Amino acid sequence: MRSPSFFKACLVLLAVGAGGCRHIGVKPHQRELLADRIMSLEGNPQERAADEHVLSNREGAVGATGTSGGGCGCN
Amino acid sequence: MRTRMAHMTARGGLRGAGLGPGDSSDLVVTIDGGFSAPRPAERGEAGAAAPGEGRGAAVDRGPLSLTLSPLTRGEGKHLQLIGRQPQSARSSRGDESSALGPGASGLRLGLALLQLGVIGMVVILFVGRGHAAEVEASQRGTLFLEPSNIKGNAGITVFHPQTDVSATFASGFGIAAGYAVDVVSGATPRVFGVRNDSTGRPVDAISGATKFSDVRQQAHGALSYSRPLADIAASYSYGWENDYRSHAVTVTTRTDVLDHNLSINLSYTHNFDSVCDASNTDSVGIPLARQALANSKNCFKGTPDVATRSLNIDAIEPSLTWAVTPRLALQGGGTALILDGFQSNPYRQVDLGRAGARPQETLPQFRQRYALFLRSAYAIPAARASIQATGRVYRDSWGVRAATAELLLQSYMTRFLLWSLRGRATAQSGAVFYEDAQTYFLHGPNGKYWTGDRELSPMQNLLTGTKLTYLHIPESGEHHFISELDASLKFELLFYRLESVFAPNADRKYAGILQLAVSARF
Repeated sequence: MRSPSFFKACLVLLAVGAGGCRHIGVKPHQRELLADRIMSLEGNPQERAADEHVLSNREGAVGATGTSGGGCGCN
Repeated sequence: MRTRMAHMTARGGLRGAGLGPGDSSDLVVTIDGGFSAPRPAERGEAGAAAPGEGRGAAVDRGPLSLTLSPLTRGEGKHLQLIGRQPQSARSSRGDESSALGPGASGLRLGLALLQLGVIGMVVILFVGRGHAAEVEASQRGTLFLEPSNIKGNAGITVFHPQTDVSATFASGFGIAAGYAVDVVSGATPRVFGVRNDSTGRPVDAISGATKFSDVRQQAHGALSYSRPLADIAASYSYGWENDYRSHAVTVTTRTDVLDHNLSINLSYTHNFDSVCDASNTDSVGIPLARQALANSKNCFKGTPDVATRSLNIDAIEPSLTWAVTPRLALQGGGTALILDGFQSNPYRQVDLGRAGARPQETLPQFRQRYALFLRSAYAIPAARASIQATGRVYRDSWGVRAATAELLLQSYMTRFLLWSLRGRATAQSGAVFYEDAQTYFLHGPNGKYWTGDRELSPMQNLLTGTKLTYLHIPESGEHHFISELDASLKFELLFYRLESVFAPNADRKYAGILQLAVSARF
């Protein structure tokens, strides 16, 4: 059984960590590059749906890319 | 849908950005956009489904654990899969007796539907534009060709047009609607087994394919509400074809924290799917006696020769996006899918040789699928380019393990032209009950399940391709009816590497994908 002081120490560390997180990332005026379309991590949703549609019918390991199934007698 | 809107916001920011071509910078607004959230899953019908009555033994619904015990396999071993099992993610299909007729007429229907979609899109645009802050319309057509190296085998052709329209209102509300079609034609083997040469020696998997054609349609709509720090969206989609019906409901949320540096996304989807299958009333509890569905003629008509099986799918997809530095963004997330229902291809038979003729493919009723991914995007302003890298790992309760790596390079060639190059490699192991055609024929099934599904076999895929996009972005201060337009042409090649010539669809070594898209913002 951990002592109460251990949990207090964890809470303090968590609070300090969370406070530090306020400084992670970038300022609004630094986001020019990140806002460009070629930096979009999702890409075009419609294109992505089409791509995933093709691959989900060709591989047995769909998922974790926002993919979905979809009929298409492609086997 | 929600993603679409977030994406639009981010794209607006391009004009003030340093990477893009023509960019004045009156769109400070979009700085808030940060990154768009993951696309809500448009869960279509991922497979066939029908609670296999009497198929297989007790299935415990615990997580990923497998028990192999000596038993069948002709006289081999018996597999008991403990855990929700699978779905072979099959696509439903019609065969040549499809009411829609052969490929040519299906293609014509697809084109007609495409035209209808375009007309509908234009109507929505003109009606909606008067009230909406921003309207976007996209039209895309994908042609997928997978030839066979067997003479006389047509391979597979899929034409997949998509139409999407969305409108965002100043109040924060948004609506979206879309329509997509799959026109599929070609030939596919109905029996997974061996083909013998003139001396009777097995030479490869059976490739005597049956011609078929089918049309799958899907309509979807979504509502969303966005605030600067969060948004929520709900969508519904309905997909239908001769032998498959799918209803899917998705809810997606996004929250930005830490001054928009972190974006937390969560998406949940539930599918209520129905699959047509042969009724097999005489073979309840006897998987080896199950007959395959002959055709889709009587599907969903209540006739005694066919039955409607259900498949329920729950999918949850959390992700976290982090603006790490002015040049680097990271995204990580995962997917957990639970499928419960009929997941076999109702048309497919597997030649089990001495063990028992050619019964219908039999897959477990439950499947749990898990995947994790990490993606990064890094800007290279000197080259007006970016490079994106993605890694993903996957495992499921059927024993399939996979790893995927992808690289995407994008670069502005001129103010109007964007070029991209994509490479993707994936490798997966086979399901625990998978055997190649020769093994099934010589030794029977590896337990109580058998499949002829390529996606459940050990394989490696390599995809490479390029895309050219034309961008029309008016100069700052100019006002046009169309505020932004882009058109793209993409070509990709997908290569398959299977374990042996006795693997499913071993006669198809590669596929070509051609895609043309036009998108406009008003």
